[in-house]
Amino acid sequence: MNTKHNRQDLHSFLSQHPSIHPERRAAAVPIMQALQKERGYLNDAAIEEVAHLTGLSTTEVEELATFYTLIYRYPVGRHVVQICDSVCCSIRGADELLVAAEKYSGVPLGAVTPNGALSVLPSICLGLCDRAPAALVDGEGLGPLNKVGLEALLRSLGEED
Amino acid sequence: MEAVLTRHLDPTAPLGLPAYQANGGYRSLTAAFDLKPEALIKIVEDANLRGRGGAGFPCGLKWRLRGTDAPRPRYLICNLDESEPGTFKDRHLLYGGPHQIIEAIIVSAYALQAERSIIFVRGEYAKGGNSLSRAIKEAETAGLIGSNIGGSGFDLQIEVHISGGRYICGEETAQINAIEGRRPNPRPKIPRPSVKGLWGQPTTSNNVETLVNVPHILLNGADWFRNLGVNGGCGSKLFCVSGKVQHPGLFELPIGTTARELIFEHAGGLAKGRDLLGFIPGGASTAFLLPKHLDVPMDFDPIAKAGSRFGTGCIIVFDDVTCPLQATLNLIRFFARESCGFCTPCRDGLPYLAQILTTIAAGQGQANDLSLLEELCAMIGPQSFCAFAPGAVMPLVSSLQCFREHYERHITTGHCPFDTVNKKGA
Amino acid sequence: MLGIIRIDGHEIPFEPGDNLLKVALAADVDIPYFCYHAALGSVGACRLCAVEIMSDDPDKVPRVAMACLEPASDGLEVSVSAPAAQQVRQRVIEFLMINHPHDCPICDEGGECHLQEMTVACGPAYRRYQGHKRTFTNQNLGPLVHHEMNRCITCYRCTRFYQDYALGDDLGAMRLRNEVYFGRFQDGPLESPFAGNLVEICPTGVFTDAIFRQHFTRVWDLKTASSICPHCSVGCNILPGARDGTLRRVRHRPHPEINRWFICDRGRYGHQYSEHTARPLTPRVAGATITYRKALIAATEQIKAAGDRIGGLGSIREDLEGNALLRALLNNLNGIFSAFNDPELEAATITAVNRIQNSDGTPSLTEMEQVDAALILGDLTAHAPMIDLALRQAYRRGAQLTVLHNGPTPLTQFAVTTLPVPPHEMGAYLSRLHERITASPASKDVQDESTAEIAERLAAARRPLLIGVVETLAASEIIALAQLATALGTDARLAYALPGANAYGAALLTLASRKTTTILEAIETGQIQTLIVAGTDPLGDTRLGSRWRAACQRLNTLIVLDCIATTTTAAADILFPVAAWAERGGTFVNYEGRAQGFAPAFKRLELLPSTAEVIADLVQCLDLYLPDAPAVLSEAFPGYQAPVPGSAGSLMPVHPLPTHIDTATRSDHEHHHKHWQAALTTWYGDEELASFAPALMKLAPTATALISPAAALNANIEEGAQVKLRGPVGTMTLPVQLDNRVADGTVALTRMALVQLGVGHGDLLELEPVS
Ligand SMILES: Cc1cc2nc3c(=O)[nH]c(=O)nc-3n(C[C@H](O)[C@H](O)[C@H](O)COP(=O)(O)O)c2cc1C
Ligand code: SF4
Ligand code: FES
Repeated sequence: MNTKHNRQDLHSFLSQHPSIHPERRAAAVPIMQALQKERGYLNDAAIEEVAHLTGLSTTEVEELATFYTLIYRYPVGRHVVQICDSVCCSIRGADELLVAAEKYSGVPLGAVTPNGALSVLPSICLGLCDRAPAALVDGEGLGPLNKVGLEALLRSLGEED
Repeated sequence: MEAVLTRHLDPTAPLGLPAYQANGGYRSLTAAFDLKPEALIKIVEDANLRGRGGAGFPCGLKWRLRGTDAPRPRYLICNLDESEPGTFKDRHLLYGGPHQIIEAIIVSAYALQAERSIIFVRGEYAKGGNSLSRAIKEAETAGLIGSNIGGSGFDLQIEVHISGGRYICGEETAQINAIEGRRPNPRPKIPRPSVKGLWGQPTTSNNVETLVNVPHILLNGADWFRNLGVNGGCGSKLFCVSGKVQHPGLFELPIGTTARELIFEHAGGLAKGRDLLGFIPGGASTAFLLPKHLDVPMDFDPIAKAGSRFGTGCIIVFDDVTCPLQATLNLIRFFARESCGFCTPCRDGLPYLAQILTTIAAGQGQANDLSLLEELCAMIGPQSFCAFAPGAVMPLVSSLQCFREHYERHITTGHCPFDTVNKKGA
Repeated sequence: MLGIIRIDGHEIPFEPGDNLLKVALAADVDIPYFCYHAALGSVGACRLCAVEIMSDDPDKVPRVAMACLEPASDGLEVSVSAPAAQQVRQRVIEFLMINHPHDCPICDEGGECHLQEMTVACGPAYRRYQGHKRTFTNQNLGPLVHHEMNRCITCYRCTRFYQDYALGDDLGAMRLRNEVYFGRFQDGPLESPFAGNLVEICPTGVFTDAIFRQHFTRVWDLKTASSICPHCSVGCNILPGARDGTLRRVRHRPHPEINRWFICDRGRYGHQYSEHTARPLTPRVAGATITYRKALIAATEQIKAAGDRIGGLGSIREDLEGNALLRALLNNLNGIFSAFNDPELEAATITAVNRIQNSDGTPSLTEMEQVDAALILGDLTAHAPMIDLALRQAYRRGAQLTVLHNGPTPLTQFAVTTLPVPPHEMGAYLSRLHERITASPASKDVQDESTAEIAERLAAARRPLLIGVVETLAASEIIALAQLATALGTDARLAYALPGANAYGAALLTLASRKTTTILEAIETGQIQTLIVAGTDPLGDTRLGSRWRAACQRLNTLIVLDCIATTTTAAADILFPVAAWAERGGTFVNYEGRAQGFAPAFKRLELLPSTAEVIADLVQCLDLYLPDAPAVLSEAFPGYQAPVPGSAGSLMPVHPLPTHIDTATRSDHEHHHKHWQAALTTWYGDEELASFAPALMKLAPTATALISPAAALNANIEEGAQVKLRGPVGTMTLPVQLDNRVADGTVALTRMALVQLGVGHGDLLELEPVS
């Protein structure tokens, strides 16, 4: 990936955003999200880049990065499946789905499949309780899920290169 | 009841600007600009619109207390962080029709004379947030947002903030920190955000559902709104029903509708052969109610009188094969995991509760564990820094009361009584 | 006084706006707490300070509230002992102990652990939690502070001090829930000059003193005494702690107008100099170790032989007593005395002290925190670190800082305007600023915008502070700064960071300027045969070291008294090792002119007299009569009374000092294109004594030649390129580092580099790229 080019993009992003905030630190989360969109997750170099762009120190960026669920400081697959483990989904079968997900993906929850295609992450309530047990597949809501459907989903995502 | 808030919602094909306008959208702007901001606030006050984000604070009163001489710039934050288990109403509003939200914000910001507004969207709803941003651009191009909107002299900028993702970001002061790019710990209660909020400026936060009522109130009048409710309630409400019902879903119904009607008429009731064990009326941070409460009107005061909170008005249903201890443990784990870590009772007390519950669930509970749980909850709830922990212990405290014999059976028999039920049922 | 609250029956008056906890603590009524700190305020995180508050309405039940967040209001009835409040505190302790390791027997915080005390005070005595403890991995935070995260109780004091108070940005709170982690982005030394305060701010053993750990002793076994920091002119109050004849650590001791709760890392860790392996501990004559008595006899003979052809150098880091007695001895012998070894520093210091004595009084640190604008000349962080911390507080309160500097200085981060000014142009710049402030509006030169801006900011301020670093200013510039203060009117405050812990006292005892030059010339012309040097290193001086070295070749006898190994002690014919500050009593006069006494914390196993004691012994051997140090001092300074260690100290009486200073002190050589001006660039750990503290020195920046990017472009030099520097004494090759905080035509160099080249601050040198 051409980081120089991205740097420029981010600089222009920063100059437009956030238009109604008086301090640059307000851009930290949006910048992290933008970087993560390109790179999947934020490695240490990315944290340094965010620090550079916002004028925060790396420690200050890390204070934010490690607070948020959806900022990944560890590698994730090209496809991310978030399975809800909160109450409505749990009582409708999510617990078994989470166990099954490890079997179908072949790696523990949170880990990346060897080909880098897939991560399954447990998640707090996704706001899809009307479709429980539910999941977000690359940000798109899915549910109600059963084991058969989950297996097919994880297999197809996991095989993609 | 005629659908008000959900009339034009369509998640598969949300209305674009022209279609929305063709269906009467943005009409409230002209009506609003004809009025003085104070008059608008008065109408909202008269309508008795109470906050839909959980606390139920009267919206008009909140706006009036902000004061007309608050320094500029002033901010209006639209809270679309919905992360409360069992709650998905705001998702329907977001994905179903972004222009309704934008219209509501313009009118509300005008009432507050707030020139800057931020819509705080939970990270899991990023796709909806992006559509909302596009809709804002559309509205800007059409001159509905910007400077001197419709020749009214009123200026407004609206921006979407997509959250990095944490339940606590829904709490209004934590949300302010999140927007500012600080760690989203809640702030002290004083000074209030209405005095010193976002970037030290006067800031008003409202749940998105609260706000989308405003244009309708303005167009149809306070009396119309009050009359929408039943059993003494005011307005319509986006009710959610989830859990062990046949047809979980979102239902727009009068405030004051009973849980019985919601569960059995609208959500299809429970599966054949199942009985109702209990329900949580207002999202995960409210207390369990029992079948005997089915006829209590779903409204702020009656539900409070019954010993719970109306919260977000989103019901989670538990049937007689669901172990209430397991369900409660799930909730406590959720809260322990989402605690921001700022204050001691919440940060260290909730995992302690989870640990005790886990032991009981595993059949290794001790006779005095239940009183220990109660003792700890009695401190954690009232003595924590923000409203997170009081909400977190509510379901546990009530679960211990409502389903005590189930807890005791876990301890005395050394296993979960529902395991056998479930196996038989399967 | 607005009113009275009652806490468990005690009537306590309060100031409006105070919270219950602050009010109670001020009245010595105990309310347990963790996260509150007087300097950091209330945040309500720990929830330990629970108290019960009675309602006005007798039918209502009392409520439990956090004392740190509850405003005091007249007539409020508060109970700390109420069972409901006790219950809450006990639960808080129980929660905090869930994950806390039970490693008290081997914990470095033992004996001063706030958590342990609160656990004993509040209970519970027994553990109920049966689950696992969460564990963390620690970070390597550098040589000064040790990290043990498992002991954390998440009170947020560390980050509140480090980020909010001291404005550092490399220590923060990571993660959330019961996994909040206080640390850095990655392992590495803490960057703040005030990082060591974490050791005291942390109520448990998360941050502990990494030096103290290495020869740890239980704190109740430490011998301590009220002392004063010897490492700069601020005069922070400290508490050295020793055991078995060795100094183990230094902590802050509160002084309400100076350092209050904190000290800088130089003050906390510089003490290692007194345990340095190279420290001279036995007397030497002609290179051979000898008994103290024999050394005295040898010195006596030499002094007698010299008659009045004798000189004495006191020191800006030597206490008032040692300097005064040495001067008295020389007066008695008709010799010459100066407490300086560099005429320029002598002139600058005497001028500064003169100006302070002629002003309405120089502000204390707490007063500096209240200023609303400051003009800062030089690098306060390196020369008076705690003044930097005071100005960070002013900045937090909204003060506008302007920094005029030759090289990098950390305070520029917080300044509205920073202006790199080459050393030679500082005087001219100050007069322009003066003109701008005094000129009538019509005559104001509109060209010079930044000067106008600075002048207007200072003129508009209600309480402006003008402060200069004496070591990097010429006497004329010191006068110019004082004139600016006069021009700004009576609300303006003037201060100088002086070059040593007792520089003020040294100036008072030296009296006239040009004494140093007189001594140096007298040695060079053979008029001085014997030189007594007490606590200073003329032979290692930056600018004049080589001249002193040459001059001292001509001496019959060089008698040296010191507690560190220097170029001068190495050249001594007779060497008297003396007690370091924590091993003796004495007095330092700080930048305000405040004389503060310090008491000996311990005695070493070796016999080490103080400087004053050596001189008194010499006096006796010489069969002379001299009164003791206090008497000498009260004779020199009518009205002077020795300040008692542990007291607030007392201002030195006003004393006549020369008002006329040679202005042409800067070496005004002809400008040559190869000539650059040298600027001393240093860091907070750099000071003569502290440079013998090994752990602190691990943090010293690597030596480079710092020049501005513009100058580099002009001279066609690239970042990282090697340049050859040539001074009057030597040459050296250094890599170039570009830094836009360096003034034009200036090369900023470390003290060591200046010594090697033989140039002082502001002197000219040659610089050329190595091809
Ligand atoms: C822990 C916690 C989480 C919250 N989460 C949300 C949320 O996701 N959405 C929301 O609208 N309000 C949430 N609230 C309530 C807000 O703090 C605030 O009361 C609300 O946005 C006010 O809007 P309203 O008066 O329109 O209800 C939460 C409160 C707490 C204490
Ligand atoms: S109760 Fe305390 S730890 Fe919990 S979310 Fe609120 S401030 Fe954070
Ligand atoms: S509980 Fe699973 S989506 Fe709501």
